[in-house]
Amino acid sequence: MSAAVAHLALDPLYGSGVHWAELLIAVIKVVVAFGVLLVSVMLMIWFERKVISDMQARIGPNRAGPFGILQTLADGIKLFFKEDLLPERADRFVFKLAPYLSLVPAFVAFSIVPVGGIVTVAHHTFELQVADPPIGILLLLAVSSISVYGVMLAGWSSGSKYPLLGSVRASAQMVSYEAALGMTVIMVVLLGHSLSTRDIVVGQSHTFFASWNLIRTGVVPFFLFVVAITAELNRPPFDLVEAEQELVGGFHTEYASIRFAMFFLAEFMNTITMSAIIVTLFLGGPDGPRFHFVSWLWPILWFLGKTLLFLFTYVWFRAALPRLRYDQLMDLGWKLLIPLSLGWTLVVAAFLVSGWWGVGVIVALFVAGGLLARSVHVGTARRRELGEELA
Amino acid sequence: MAQYLPVLLLLALSTVFAALSFVASSLLAPRKRPTAAKVAPYECGIVPDVEPPQRFPVRFYLVAMIFIIFDIEIVFLYPWAVTYRELGTFGLVEVLVFAAIVFVSFVYLVSNGALDWGPAKRLRVAMGERTTESTVARVGPEGGPRAGRAA
Repeated sequence: MSAAVAHLALDPLYGSGVHWAELLIAVIKVVVAFGVLLVSVMLMIWFERKVISDMQARIGPNRAGPFGILQTLADGIKLFFKEDLLPERADRFVFKLAPYLSLVPAFVAFSIVPVGGIVTVAHHTFELQVADPPIGILLLLAVSSISVYGVMLAGWSSGSKYPLLGSVRASAQMVSYEAALGMTVIMVVLLGHSLSTRDIVVGQSHTFFASWNLIRTGVVPFFLFVVAITAELNRPPFDLVEAEQELVGGFHTEYASIRFAMFFLAEFMNTITMSAIIVTLFLGGPDGPRFHFVSWLWPILWFLGKTLLFLFTYVWFRAALPRLRYDQLMDLGWKLLIPLSLGWTLVVAAFLVSGWWGVGVIVALFVAGGLLARSVHVGTARRRELGEELA
Repeated sequence: MAQYLPVLLLLALSTVFAALSFVASSLLAPRKRPTAAKVAPYECGIVPDVEPPQRFPVRFYLVAMIFIIFDIEIVFLYPWAVTYRELGTFGLVEVLVFAAIVFVSFVYLVSNGALDWGPAKRLRVAMGERTTESTVARVGPEGGPRAGRAA
């Protein structure tokens, strides 16, 4: 058995079976993660509004609490007191089901993110992450595809024009970028030899920065991943799902009161989770220099710092970039991201086997790239001809 | 299996949280019969005179089908990615052959224009020239021919 299989990381907490103490620690982990997620969503919404208003030379929320930090809480409480509407054309069951399908995956996806190192409390050693299943990455991909259903069914069940258009757009968009997303993650798995997020993080922790997957995969996959994730999250500039100018509010136009708040909560929670996932996969997760006093705290601080960097980037995207047109979005996804991520995966794999294979695959990819460019040209021309004939 | 225990706990906790929120909302929110206008599909105040479309451009379905090709490729690549050390050159060659076959089908699709999105030219011709006059309907006493339709 090789080393790759031998160090399949599992949470050492359950090494000696599950007793009351282990169960208690698991429950505490879950409750803490749940609470922290809710509070961080609250802060994230405030942060986004505040940063955007700074970038647009406005003041932003400043009434509820110091610097308006409690504004989100006030909005949330307000929404509890709002009339809950069920549109007459709606499919009642699916309409009520959709917010669950959006919110629950948002929570569950966070469970595989390693937020810190391994700690020992009262003779119990455990990892600072909610769960560390051996198929962590697959769990993430599975859960993030379930959230597509939330968006799709919400739009479909509303029985209204704009939500339906928004949700059909959304499903095509999310499905397209999921292919690129899955392909980019393969490179991380190749280098980490494991689907467990803890293994992936540990594999990056030899030297600061140079051993991160960001460098080891050759920088490009990181950017592919960030673009794919942004599209998957329906964040600007890929927020065609709720393009206000065309679709009123997109897939959640018909939702009111707390049901609407659930979609909002899920959206921001996904932003936080996916920022954390980027950090985990490409920036070494909680990896960073640590010092002797309170040594368990440093990894957490590194993790939070890196995640905050990406949260700020998302807000920055929203303030700076105009929305893409739908054909541009699809062309970017299918004709650039997917072929590029597939090709780069093969190059990384070939170089892992031997240098000569790597050179050979690069040459083959240039040929394939030329072929693809030609086929794009032919395809566009053919469609144009077809259009003219029919006209 | 114990590794999945916290995932299940989180799943349960978040479901309960969502359910309790809906219960709280139904207790706290005003309970009155909404008017007909309120429960009608929201279209910015314009009275809807066209049913929501039941049919969609086939292109959307096409995207879903083409996605399956790549999804299956990804599904096959993951096990290889985890064990590529054991498989070595053999695994790489197999994956290259597999990727080449998928790539050929992808090139075929692209060269057929299956992934081409912009509006087809025939639609643009059929629509005629778009001007402010043709796209904006005026509302009010001096409104155009569309103004009286909703009434």
